[in-house]
Amino acid sequence: MNTLKGKVAIVGIGEVPTGRYPERSAIECAILAAQQAIQDAGISKQEIDTVIPTAALCNAAFNTDLVTGRIVEELGLHVNNNLQIFAGGATSAVMLKVAAGLIATGTSKAILFVHADKLGTSITDQEGIDLFSTAGISKEWEVPYGMHYSTVAGLITQRYMFETGTSAEQLAAVCVSNRKWAELNPNAMFRKPLTIESVLNSKILSWPLHAFESNMLADGGAAFVVVSAERARDLCECPAYLLGEGSRVTHFALSQDADLTRFGYAQAAAEAYQMAGLTPTDIDLAELYDSYPIFQLIALEELGLCQRGQAGAFVLNGSTWPGGRLPMTTNGGMLSQGHTGAGGGIAILVEAARQLMGKAGERQAPRARFAIETATGGTYVDAHVTILGTEIP
Amino acid sequence: MTEKPIPPVDPWTKPYWDAAREHKLLLQFCPRCSKHIFYPRRYCPDCNSDQLEWVESAGVGKVYAFTVVRNNAPSAFIGDIPYVVAVVRLDEGVQMMTNIVDCDLDLVQSGMPVEVVFEKLTDEITLPKFRPVSDQAGRS
Ligand SMILES: [Zn+2]
Repeated sequence: MNTLKGKVAIVGIGEVPTGRYPERSAIECAILAAQQAIQDAGISKQEIDTVIPTAALCNAAFNTDLVTGRIVEELGLHVNNNLQIFAGGATSAVMLKVAAGLIATGTSKAILFVHADKLGTSITDQEGIDLFSTAGISKEWEVPYGMHYSTVAGLITQRYMFETGTSAEQLAAVCVSNRKWAELNPNAMFRKPLTIESVLNSKILSWPLHAFESNMLADGGAAFVVVSAERARDLCECPAYLLGEGSRVTHFALSQDADLTRFGYAQAAAEAYQMAGLTPTDIDLAELYDSYPIFQLIALEELGLCQRGQAGAFVLNGSTWPGGRLPMTTNGGMLSQGHTGAGGGIAILVEAARQLMGKAGERQAPRARFAIETATGGTYVDAHVTILGTEIP
Repeated sequence: MTEKPIPPVDPWTKPYWDAAREHKLLLQFCPRCSKHIFYPRRYCPDCNSDQLEWVESAGVGKVYAFTVVRNNAPSAFIGDIPYVVAVVRLDEGVQMMTNIVDCDLDLVQSGMPVEVVFEKLTDEITLPKFRPVSDQAGRS
C-alpha cells in the first residue's frame, strides 16, 4: 500500500524562548524562528517553495498578514505557495500530514512551517480565560453553563480519576515530570523545580484541577522545514523521518463524546503503528501533548505505552523523568514551556525532531530512535498520533 | 458585572427554547432511526432525515462527569463561583452539558440521579439545569 511512511523528513528546526516578552513582536518571533529553521536545515532559502504559517490568535490583523504572505516577503523568499493551516492544538500533526502529501506528489519540494503568537502579553489573564470560554465551545449548548478550558480539563480529569482510581498525587507527578525536563530547556517559561506538594497546595481552578496543573498562556514562535526523504539524506546525518500517522475526530461539543477518558487515541495510534511497522515496545520517546496533565496519562494508556489505569503510577515512579525508561514531553510541555496557542503542538513536534536529530543539549535522551507524538485541538476534539524516527524500518 | 452570554437561536432550535420557557425539556426524535437526538439539529446526524419530531424528555438522568469551578471563571460567571458544570446522561440516552444546582456541591458525584429544573436567563431564554432527585423512593 502507498502510504506516507518514509516519504518526508524534518531537516531543520527553529524556536524562540517561550514566556512573557512584551517588547518582542509576534512578527519578530516568526522571522527569528524561520531563519533558524532554514539555517538549521542547511539549505539555501531559495530552495523553499512553499510557506505554511499557522494562525495567530493574538491579533486578527497580524493573522491576516500571515495569510497574505508577510513571512515570504520579510524573508525574501521566492515561493509557489503561501497558505495557512490551522487545526488549533492539532495544527502540528495536520501540517506534517499535508507536507507529506504535497511532497510525495511533487507539488512542493521544501516547505517552511511557521508559528508565532503573543498570548502571554497581548491580553490580560482574565481576557485569556474569556477567550478560551468561547473559542471552540458551543455557543448554544455549552457556553451558557460557564464552560472554559479549565472546566473542560476538570470534567475529563474527574471522570478519568473516577474510572481508574488515579490519585491526585499521580496527576501532580505529571507536572513534576514535565518540569524536570523544562529545568533543562533554556526556551521554557517555567524552569524552577516543582514538587508534588506545591502542585497539590496550589489553588483549585475547576475541581479536581489545580492551578499548577493548568498551562500558562505565553508568547513564542517555532518553525520547521520539511523535505523529501531523498533530499533529507543529502542535507543532514540525522533527519527526523515521518514514519506513521493516524487521527480521529470524536466531537465538537465536549458533552457529545460518549467516553471522556479515551477519545480517539487508540484508533489513531493503531493506524500510526501499522503505517510505521512498529509496536509500542519500539518507542524510545513519548512527546505527548499536554496542556493539562490528564491528556498525557490518557495518551500513555491509549497509545499502548502503559496499561489502562497504570499511567499515573508509571509517571510517579519516575519512568518519564530525565534518566527514566520512557522520556516524556521533554520540552516541559505547555505546563512548563508555556502555551502559545497553535504553537503548543508545534513546540512538541519540534522537540521530537530535536531529540531525534540529537540536538537537545542537556536534555538529550540517550536512545532516541523512534518517537511517538500526540496533538489535539479545541476541546480535545481530535486525536492525532505521529511516529517519527531516525531511520525507516 | 459582565452580562451572561445568550445562546443564539436558529429556526430549528426555536421549539426547544420556546418549550424551555414553559419549563419543558424537549428532545428531537428520529422515527427512521428510532433514536433521541440532543442537541437539536437541522437534520438527523445519522440518516440525514429532516422529518424530526419533538418529544418531551422525562427530564431525569445521571451525572456522567462533573467539575466544581472555584477560581478563574469566565467574567460573566465570576459571581456564580463556586458552581458545578456537569455532563448529564438522560434516561433517553443523550448527553448534555449543564449545571448541577440546588445542592451541597461536595455531594455531587458520578452516577448521581438528577432531574431537570429551569432557570430564566432572559425573557426569551430559559436554561435547563439539573438538581439531585429529591424523592428517589417515589420514582418507579
Ligand atoms: Zn435518523
